[in-house]
Amino acid sequence: MNGTPRTLNRVLIGVLGFKLLAIGVLLILLAAVPAVAAWWQGWAAGVWSIWRDLFERTRFPGRAESWLWIVVVLMLLLLIGAMVAWVAQQGKGRANTLLSEEDPGEVPGNVRVGSGVAEQALRAALADRPDLTGTTVATYEFRGEPALRIRIQPRHGVAPHRLAAEVSALVEALDVALGKRTLVLIHIASGARSRFGRAERVR
Amino acid sequence: MSHATDRHSSSGRQVPPAPVTAPSAGSPAAAGTGVEGMDQILRRETHSSRAMASIIAAVLVIALCVYALLETAVRAVGQPPWLVDPQTAAQQVVSLPSGVPPLLLGVVGAVLVMAGLFFFLNAVLPGRRARHVLLDRRAAVVVDDEVIASALARRARLAANVSPEQVMVTVSRQQVEVNVRPTSGVPLSRNAVLTAVQDELQEMGLTPAPEARINVASAGVVGA
Repeated sequence: MNGTPRTLNRVLIGVLGFKLLAIGVLLILLAAVPAVAAWWQGWAAGVWSIWRDLFERTRFPGRAESWLWIVVVLMLLLLIGAMVAWVAQQGKGRANTLLSEEDPGEVPGNVRVGSGVAEQALRAALADRPDLTGTTVATYEFRGEPALRIRIQPRHGVAPHRLAAEVSALVEALDVALGKRTLVLIHIASGARSRFGRAERVR
Repeated sequence: MSHATDRHSSSGRQVPPAPVTAPSAGSPAAAGTGVEGMDQILRRETHSSRAMASIIAAVLVIALCVYALLETAVRAVGQPPWLVDPQTAAQQVVSLPSGVPPLLLGVVGAVLVMAGLFFFLNAVLPGRRARHVLLDRRAAVVVDDEVIASALARRARLAANVSPEQVMVTVSRQQVEVNVRPTSGVPLSRNAVLTAVQDELQEMGLTPAPEARINVASAGVVGA
């Protein structure tokens, strides 16, 4: 539910994977098949001579270096910047306001409720339950609307549907308190603490 | 079998003190975030975002670029190269099978093929996570398969009257497999266990609904 660009991820990973695959297969063929080696030397030499000519023609007047090197440096910098931007896109989308509406009452102005309200209310309501090892509540922006993500880690053996019903009852109570329905995701997760902690035997 | 189903009536502080009812009639659901928004959230939550593979890929490309940048910059200002001059490197690549032992070349190629397969399959496969969707009237609910398995194991253990170590449950997308090792000398009713597990699955109402299978081991456990 966060704003990770999933299609972009798939396309870029796919392109990179395909390139690595092609290079790897080429290397194996070069090592194993002499005919491929002969073809490669002919083909690559042609490509290389074209590039060398290009570098020869683009020298700085009066110097041995080509200005094409600077272009290459700029391209590499651009590529690094793009990669950093791509990494920065992963897992983004946290929001700070849960609700922002115009107040219809007599007092002018509008009402804003920070995301901390729902997060802390739900966390506090779930804090001292013996059948949970952890609760995380976070607000994300989903299609321009705030949405709550409740992640709970139950102990071993807790029935997930009962837990979900109880948490969604809490969410409904929160709806009444806020006067607005937000999208809510409840994720009942297993983690290291529930895996190695003691089992819940009483419930 | 008295399976404890006492409902923990809203433990401790229930912060919003309002009664648990449907939200007030004056606040209809915001437009555009109704059922279809819920569906989209559930689809995103049950499929991998491939963030990890993306970050690995980006770091790889960045490392490669930084090294190339270093050598190119050194070359552009006319300094001696750090590890290898770009021009020499290109010439070596052109004359490839010669100059490198074929075994090394093959191994490097195999490693590259492995890495390429990892990224390519990550991109092409559907990337389903080991999670199921629970139906709920208010919220979108996803449950890790491990949680389902431990709940089913508890139920099966109570029905079979064995210790926790004697039950192992694996949950996959379409199937639940319950492995029970009975206590030596104590008869175990296979149908009772199956009914208990099926009951629990029915109560959960998972989507997609998995089918339950019971395997009772032929060898029993002594002294459990």
